[in-house]
Amino acid sequence: MQRIDAARFSSIKWNTLRINPRLILAAGLVALFVAIPLIYIFARALSAETEAWERLLQSRLWELLGNTLALGFVVTGGALLTGVGMAWLTERTDLPGRKLFRWMLALPLAIPAYIGGIVHLTLLRPRGGIIPLALENLLGQPVSIPGPTGFWGAAFILTLFTYPYVYLLSGAAFRRLHASLEEASRTLGRSPWQTFWQVTLPALRPGLLAGALLVALDILAEYGTVALMRYETFSSAIFIQLSGRYDRSSASILSGVLVILAILILWGELRLQGKARFTQMGSNWKPSPPVSLAKWRLPAFLLVFFVVSAGLLVPMTVLTIWSIQAFLEPETLASVFRTGSQNFGDFVWNSLWTSSTAAVIAVSLSLPVALFSSRFPGRISRFLSRFCQVGYAIPGVVIALSLVLLVNRFLPFLYATPLVVVIAYVLRHMPQAVRASEAAYNQLSPSYEEAARILGRTPLQTFFKVTLPLILPGLFAGGALVFLTSLKELPATLLLRPAGFDTLAVRVWVWAVDGFYTQAAPAALFLVIAAVVPLWFLLRQEQIFR
Amino acid sequence: MTTLEVQNLTRYYPQAQFAAVDDISFDLENGEILALVGPSGCGKTTTLRLIAGLDYPDSGSIQLNGRILTSKTEFVPPERRGIGMVFQDHALFPHLTVFENIAFGLRKRKPAQVRTVVSEMLCLVGLESLADRYPHELSGGERQRAALVRALAPKPALLLLDEPFSSLDADLRGEVREQVRRILKSIEATVIFVTHDQEEALYMGDRLAVFHHGKLEQIGSPEQIFHSSATRFVAEFMGDSDFLRGEAGPEGIRTELGILSQPLAVNGSTPVDIALRADDVSFEPDEIGNAVIIERFFRGAFNVYRLRLDSGQILHAFKEHTEIFPVGTRVRALISAGHPLVVFHKERVVS
Repeated sequence: MQRIDAARFSSIKWNTLRINPRLILAAGLVALFVAIPLIYIFARALSAETEAWERLLQSRLWELLGNTLALGFVVTGGALLTGVGMAWLTERTDLPGRKLFRWMLALPLAIPAYIGGIVHLTLLRPRGGIIPLALENLLGQPVSIPGPTGFWGAAFILTLFTYPYVYLLSGAAFRRLHASLEEASRTLGRSPWQTFWQVTLPALRPGLLAGALLVALDILAEYGTVALMRYETFSSAIFIQLSGRYDRSSASILSGVLVILAILILWGELRLQGKARFTQMGSNWKPSPPVSLAKWRLPAFLLVFFVVSAGLLVPMTVLTIWSIQAFLEPETLASVFRTGSQNFGDFVWNSLWTSSTAAVIAVSLSLPVALFSSRFPGRISRFLSRFCQVGYAIPGVVIALSLVLLVNRFLPFLYATPLVVVIAYVLRHMPQAVRASEAAYNQLSPSYEEAARILGRTPLQTFFKVTLPLILPGLFAGGALVFLTSLKELPATLLLRPAGFDTLAVRVWVWAVDGFYTQAAPAALFLVIAAVVPLWFLLRQEQIFR
Repeated sequence: MTTLEVQNLTRYYPQAQFAAVDDISFDLENGEILALVGPSGCGKTTTLRLIAGLDYPDSGSIQLNGRILTSKTEFVPPERRGIGMVFQDHALFPHLTVFENIAFGLRKRKPAQVRTVVSEMLCLVGLESLADRYPHELSGGERQRAALVRALAPKPALLLLDEPFSSLDADLRGEVREQVRRILKSIEATVIFVTHDQEEALYMGDRLAVFHHGKLEQIGSPEQIFHSSATRFVAEFMGDSDFLRGEAGPEGIRTELGILSQPLAVNGSTPVDIALRADDVSFEPDEIGNAVIIERFFRGAFNVYRLRLDSGQILHAFKEHTEIFPVGTRVRALISAGHPLVVFHKERVVS
């Protein structure tokens, strides 16, 4: 082969096609921004005194690890079972009311798990819960029903509010599945049941794994629910170390272990996913005919109705009733609208501006990374893009810890400002923005940009005239997701907010922990409604929800 | 007059075993349609993108009307080349109407002038009534024509078409192909177009350039390419040829079907391959013949027979639709070309 005379050509400026060094620089800086908190936590964990390590290794660490893993396994399993089951029933059967159920099954995503937990706890608490009390009055003697506390309580609540991840992803996969795949399996001698296990489920695997990953990482990061149910995991232990004991060494060690756990899960998903990016043929697509449930229609309906009730209807009804009660009691009403120097409008405004600023920043920062990885695929760009998704694996408490330490040390002027809260949201939810922007770029054929160049536009004009208008819906989707999850974020906000800076999530939590449920209800209701808006926008992007 | 001069164009991709484009040179006359044809991955699309300025070569130069576009010291970005291009997926901007798409390339012109040019263009392809539609509201053929005039509107010195008909249904393809050729000829456009379909290349091109493994195998008129293929690959790719083994000797070429007397540019006793198309071969039923019918394909007006010679060699032969022979019939195959045949020695032509 002829040797390429590189030196001869190195003097030419390939300003059009060579990778713009400024783009690499921008993408690299974004990755660095994401990486700093992570690196810092590891550095702190490793430099902690051996005594702190020994103390933790002797007692807490193993217990916490066991607790966290047990909860993670049970909830992920439960969410997979519920999510796939609900998706199958609403997408592939003649379940009555399936069109409405499709929406209602997705909406629990807008309810922060701890708010759902508060509602269920009030209803079912073994002593003093509303339902046990009612039963006692009715039957004249105390009745014992399983209460949502401890391990199983936390597992129940978390499954109820995380299964929508699996439900949405597997629902989308069910919808894209070719009827011919299952038909082929039947003609090759498989029963419907065998077909489900040997063809349908494997074809859904990428969606299922992605959903399971989201659930598992969510569990690692969860603080509110586990604290409420008095079940200790890494996240809640770190929170206590940070907020109560101010033991930053122990917190760093626990955080380091937690992040390693999260990275292992992320890596495991990548390994399992492997090359299984199943492509579906675009043309001749036809949906499979729905399966007839026949005599199972009623039980199936009741099952779906139970899930929808527990995850959506009951929490919403209870919150509404409490809100009405709050409005009927002048005293409570007064404290809803004015707490110290803050009023209701302040919480709302604080929630909205921090979350939306985080959404705008995260999407803007994701652009160079996504552009680099989708237009110049290669080892470096893939690495940068993966790296920016590590935020998934850093729970809110860990982000909070590293920001507290970093800001204290290097940026003291930022300390105790709401900006730190925004930075935490951006770091934590960057992956969603990167994934959405990458998807938007990847769906855009490069030939549009090439056509614009050929028709006489410079690269910059091409970006603003062609690329940006075409990827805008995708960017909005990423922004909506960041907004939604930032709105619900509790532990990082609790730990990082300046004194007196309350968001809706914080207010709901503080009031509820103190037992002022009716007082917390209007804020909780407002939070859920504010979260439903971006969620509704996201669901509308899916064909089936139109 | 020569419009485009491509010299020694070479493009390597990292990690690829072969050069994607390997030392390609050709010229293009004003008003000529050149078809780049070859199997997928042969370098024809890369060549097109190099000319468009969407890719850069490792060496070689490109000149258009005497202006250097690409050389070892120059690289004109695509937006300043004055070249139009129709993309394989048409790349009509989905957020712009047909009118706005066509006007996209008409910059620094007065609005009235833009309107005139666009309506002229719409008129050229009969899309006047669809100016306000969005691309997704057009049929495949309409999209094709809109993409064509969008590329033509800025009056490019050279028009590039990348597999322009491949996204159309088979029944539409023939019709659109005719329309496009008529339009391009009516405005005397200078065109390079890429296809993997030999039939389309023969129909569209004033000249054909056959690519294989990044190399230009042969360039010439459709007749030259079809009847006097320069390499074995061209004969195989352009005309579904079978290759009959033979040995050149003083009296002619000795083959299984007898001796073919035809002057060759090789010395005696050289192994050669003779390219035979189905119309060059005939046969008669014969109990003591040299071949057997192994398959018959009905083609309407005629039948194609697949014959297996006693050596195992496969040949194809045409017969009128009235002459039907059952599979398994023993026959005597013979060469009935009536014109000199193309003969190869180690891939290169020697006849």
